[in-house]
Amino acid sequence: MPALKSRAFGARDAGRSLAANGPSPLLALFLCAGLGLLLCAWINALSREGGDPSQVPYWIGVLLIVLPACYRLSLRDVSLRERFALVALLGLSLYAVKVVRDPFLFTFADEPIHAYNAEQVALHHGLFNENPILPVTSGYPGLASATSALMSLTGMSAFGAGVVLIAMARLLLVLSLFVLFTRVSGSHRVAGLAVVVYAGSSNFLYWGVQYSYESLSLPILIAVLAAFAEREVAAPSKVRAWAVPIVLGTLAIVVTHHLTSYALVIVLLALALVARFSGKPRPNPWPFVVFAAVAAVGWLLIAAESTVGYLGPVLEEAFTSTLHTVSGEAAPRALFQSSSPAAVSETPALARLVTLAAVGVLGLGFLAGFRRVWRMRRDRPYALLFCLGGAAFFASLALRFAPRAWETANRASEFLFIGLAFIVAYGALRLVRRGTRWAERKAALVAALGTIVVGGAIAGWPWDAQLAQPLRISAGGREIESEPVTLARWIGEYAPEHKFAAADADARMILAPGGARAKTGDALAVKTILPETELHDWELPLLHDHHVGYVVADRRRVATDAVRGSFFFVPGSEEEALLPIASVHKFAEVPLGRAYDSGTIVVFGLGDRP
Amino acid sequence: MRGHRDLERVTIAAVACALVATLLPWELVRLIAAVPLAVFLPGYAIVSASFASYRLDPQRLLVLVLACGLSVLCLGGIVLDAFPGGIRTLSWALLLVLVVVATARGAALRRPRATSASRSGARWSLPRLRTVDVVCGIAALAAVVGALALAYTPLPAGNASGYTALWMLPDDEGPADAVRIGVISAEHDSQAYRLRVGAGKGGKIATYRLELEPGEERVFRVPVPLQANRTSPIRVAASLYEEDRPRELYRRVTTWLPPGEGR
Repeated sequence: MPALKSRAFGARDAGRSLAANGPSPLLALFLCAGLGLLLCAWINALSREGGDPSQVPYWIGVLLIVLPACYRLSLRDVSLRERFALVALLGLSLYAVKVVRDPFLFTFADEPIHAYNAEQVALHHGLFNENPILPVTSGYPGLASATSALMSLTGMSAFGAGVVLIAMARLLLVLSLFVLFTRVSGSHRVAGLAVVVYAGSSNFLYWGVQYSYESLSLPILIAVLAAFAEREVAAPSKVRAWAVPIVLGTLAIVVTHHLTSYALVIVLLALALVARFSGKPRPNPWPFVVFAAVAAVGWLLIAAESTVGYLGPVLEEAFTSTLHTVSGEAAPRALFQSSSPAAVSETPALARLVTLAAVGVLGLGFLAGFRRVWRMRRDRPYALLFCLGGAAFFASLALRFAPRAWETANRASEFLFIGLAFIVAYGALRLVRRGTRWAERKAALVAALGTIVVGGAIAGWPWDAQLAQPLRISAGGREIESEPVTLARWIGEYAPEHKFAAADADARMILAPGGARAKTGDALAVKTILPETELHDWELPLLHDHHVGYVVADRRRVATDAVRGSFFFVPGSEEEALLPIASVHKFAEVPLGRAYDSGTIVVFGLGDRP
Repeated sequence: MRGHRDLERVTIAAVACALVATLLPWELVRLIAAVPLAVFLPGYAIVSASFASYRLDPQRLLVLVLACGLSVLCLGGIVLDAFPGGIRTLSWALLLVLVVVATARGAALRRPRATSASRSGARWSLPRLRTVDVVCGIAALAAVVGALALAYTPLPAGNASGYTALWMLPDDEGPADAVRIGVISAEHDSQAYRLRVGAGKGGKIATYRLELEPGEERVFRVPVPLQANRTSPIRVAASLYEEDRPRELYRRVTTWLPPGEGR
């Protein structure tokens, strides 16, 4: 026993000596994050080489970014400034993981669509240009406006400007969360841990930092909520000062993203109601509720009428699908199954286990934290709201079993996770209260937070799409690009004024440079026409009547997959990977002129016929 | 703004950044000027105007600066869209400078008489760095730069399918009937091709030999000798063969030239 004790003292002395002689903790954590990023970049590079590297080192890289920050943030004697810097480092480092995955072009499904909007602004010097794939986006020009500013002032493309813009949005998100949580909890230790828990949201690593309108509007929403929290406790003479950022942020959200603006109205309404019935003298946000509601509805009526037609069916389908699943009329959706026929591998058992463990840890953390928050903070409207949000998150998990509702649940989780993160952080702190086995419990906390972050990331993005795929590769000392990218560049140079019908991935690549237009999916029955082996009488006239100049016949089955279809074709089983040759020949038999042929992709001119 | 050094600096910085962003041709230099001009300077000026004498701690200040700056970018395009000329480099630069100058002026008017602290500006002190800190910081930066360099370096991918694209479009610019034909190589190695172009049935076939490096493109303008006063469309076909497989059709493109007298 004495020997053990002296060894423990020795270890503590060594720790103190390291702390005194070692680098400052912030720089040491910066080094850890840099090494983690380097590891992620290395594994992505191996994957881009067309290999199939193990994902284990990649996740170790992510953990190298997350775990040291978790550990430091869980400590008691860390200054506010250091925690603030750590949170910023964590947010930006995890964003960099996405950047090193996609360093050349936007490849996520929504990104080329929004890049098109931004390029159109540069082309026409105005907003509200029609978007052929997602028309609703042209009614919300906030992202295109912000990107156009950076494009104009720097000369960069939408890709470069978008990467910089989303980096600032991500920085705003984590810092706003920290300020919001600090104000509501009164503890920057709780706030730092809550931000780490929020990084475990399934959309944090990838989806939430894609170049898309929600990636910009959500951080502004959280900043507005933080401003409200500050306003609540401000001296009466200073309350009005907070109105400027709140009003400015509200207007920016309204013109940037539909769902976020409605979420803002709902949250403010809930805050106003809680403030009204709490009976405590604090500034009620009802004037801002009215302002936000009028602005959102006004914008919907004036500039974004198509939103109703866009969101209505999605919500209706989610509702119907949930009813069918509950009543047993439809089979529940299998978890960890990609709906894409092009998904090449299933999520391994260990990864599934980590994800389920993350949900379990969140559940335990919520239960542990809820009691404490309820006892200590229930007089605060925000704390009540966070409790509700956390509980609603677990309710929304049930929707993930409904085939047409899981996406709605996934999107809602970004908002609900704000509340959940706050409550779970309180639960996490209970684990590291002073007492016996403190070091072990601290290690358990760091492991639990790591599980939450990795589990969330696995749940949020298809397993086979976590790593980069070959998009631009070197050959003979020069660079070559994938077939869809080369097609898009050819169109940009030689046929930018035309309209194309193409499969999902091809259409997005065609759009990204901002000149040519492309229709895909259900629009003009493109999804039906392209893969079939013979043409029907109505099909070409339909395309012709809608001024489609060219049709892109792509034999790759993966071309219908907007997440996986933009990369180099890696041959597997021919029958599984390619559509029948007749799907291309049907256009040649009309006969239509073949304007472009790169093997699996052939472009036919609808007007080019005898 | 006299007497409020922070506001003076913000205003001067905005004008300087606008000049750099609008006048210089180098993307990176413009980016370094554009980010403060677009986000931080307007954000700071707006926060200064709305909070006047109310001192914010650095954490809240940074959040508000970022939030207000990004909000101005989201809304600024809508303002510019309403003006003749629309959204351009100059109009963005002018708008942002105007926002900074106007709100900084508003802040100066709302603030109480300048104190010695505000005259001298906020005092920022850098933490004292030891050698071990510098080494650690450099190593961290090196790791980040290494990660980015690795990410931005295209690597060979042997099992990715190389391909060649062949394209043909009517040549609208030339004086006579002609087509433009392009060959783009995205093969892994240098590749030799034979290109055969013919018009109509039994027409003369022109043959071209070419060798392309990976990533290289060659464009031909091919005149199509056509009969005058032809009454039916003529099909022009271009076929590409790999030099080492001369009998195996590799790529084919076609187009129809309309009836007429020719140009």
